[in-house]
Amino acid sequence: MSGSYVEQNHHDALPKTSHDECARQHFVRSFKEHLVASIHPGLKTAYEKRAKISFQKQHGRDPSDIKEVASVMKHDPHYQAWSSLLRTSQEMMWSAAQIPVERSLRELAKNAAKSEGGQGTLRLNGDLKIPDYHTAVDIHCQPGGYHTEYIADDVAQGAIYDRAVYLYAMGQMGPDNADMGDSTVSWLQSQHPDFKPQRILDMGCSVGHSTLPYVTGFPEAEVHGIDVGAPMLRYAHARAKSKDLEVHFSQQNAEQTDFEDESFDLVVSHILLHETSAVAIKNVIKECHRLLKPGGWMVHVETPPYEGMSPFDTFLFDWDSENNNEPFWRRSHELDLQALAQHGGFTEHAAVQVMAPSAYQETQRSMTFQGGDFGGGGVWFLYGCQK
Amino acid sequence: MSASSPDSDTVSLKRKAKGKRPFYFSDSDIDKLLTMVMALAGELSVTRDRLDTVERIAASKNLFSEEDIETFELDSDALEARAARHQTLFREITRVISSEIEELDRESSSDYGQVVEMVEAEGGRN
Repeated sequence: MSGSYVEQNHHDALPKTSHDECARQHFVRSFKEHLVASIHPGLKTAYEKRAKISFQKQHGRDPSDIKEVASVMKHDPHYQAWSSLLRTSQEMMWSAAQIPVERSLRELAKNAAKSEGGQGTLRLNGDLKIPDYHTAVDIHCQPGGYHTEYIADDVAQGAIYDRAVYLYAMGQMGPDNADMGDSTVSWLQSQHPDFKPQRILDMGCSVGHSTLPYVTGFPEAEVHGIDVGAPMLRYAHARAKSKDLEVHFSQQNAEQTDFEDESFDLVVSHILLHETSAVAIKNVIKECHRLLKPGGWMVHVETPPYEGMSPFDTFLFDWDSENNNEPFWRRSHELDLQALAQHGGFTEHAAVQVMAPSAYQETQRSMTFQGGDFGGGGVWFLYGCQK
Repeated sequence: MSASSPDSDTVSLKRKAKGKRPFYFSDSDIDKLLTMVMALAGELSVTRDRLDTVERIAASKNLFSEEDIETFELDSDALEARAARHQTLFREITRVISSEIEELDRESSSDYGQVVEMVEAEGGRN
């Protein structure tokens, strides 16, 4: 067969699945695709033909913000069914990714510990406090979050996350889940062709799927990745080694790292900011400024801010805030990013806020950002600033 | 939770994400039912995929082809056995509906609370 179905690339750290375990995971991907292509579009119809009319009858005008759209949509049967199914698909995704890991975790941990290849390093810090915004709820409903450990040398959360990212994105981030990193590298290379970073830091790197594109994109550079979750980093280290790529991983909080002042040319993050807090996001930007050499860049990849979106689109895009354990999602999409950069010390240049085209072009893309399909936009929102 | 004996091969992971689970329908039981239906659909899909694998392997080894399956004619005994299996399946699926009628049909049926009172009564008849 020579179809266009993109399966995740195998590597030595990725859990092996039985026939049925893999079929169960593929079902989840198909389920999500069905929700995106067939159920989600009906929300607009339900809103226009039912919910909005009911609001107009009551108030004599259209809903003007998320709350007002919610006041009618939450009672709409199509919205209820979509939400119920989307939440279920998210739970099934984690479960389907967990099943093979439960069975093979001891072996995965053993293999990760003795993985070979590349010159990368791993530095863990068992004393690091896991921030409250990670322990209060399990972000995006991954049971155990990024940090929970079950056995010695644990890699479970990383092994689950690597597969779940692929299923969540329905393959739209490419066979290595590398699209956010690849797209940022492409943007930097096309917009700033003379920028040649020698030392790069990826904050909140999780399993390093967005980190590795910087190793291949800037072969001269020394690449570092930090995260608060030890199981993520152990897995990321083994994953990078299996691909024979050199990354230096360390367990650190992006709000305050142990790297020296002005020691990086490029500091990046990928969907990190919305998983922090109002206080932490300011600390992260400040830390970026401290770490960058003059002339260096920070670039954060995110989903687009709410500004300029219709109340209805905002309501749907905001679904994760209340329904997928993303407590900072809403506020982070409403922030004044220019002011945030200035507050962090970036007074030298104006912040850049652009939609950068996805490096991974694929025909099945829905070409829209929507609840349950954040890899589908075909573009990524980049928030950056030069020091 | 995460308890697992050191010599056991499998490790039990947390299966519920920390944080209150939202429900969407006016009756949360509908959400639960929908979740169970999707889980069943998932397992059905897994089984169908496995059958698909069997058929593809069989075809690649020239054991039998898809054509053989499509044109296969069941004899009367086989049809009867299948029909009986279908009935068992339906009986299981619709049991909750049928049992309500069965209860209605019963000549007399005590209130469950009365039964509890009866068996708890001291000095009553055995």
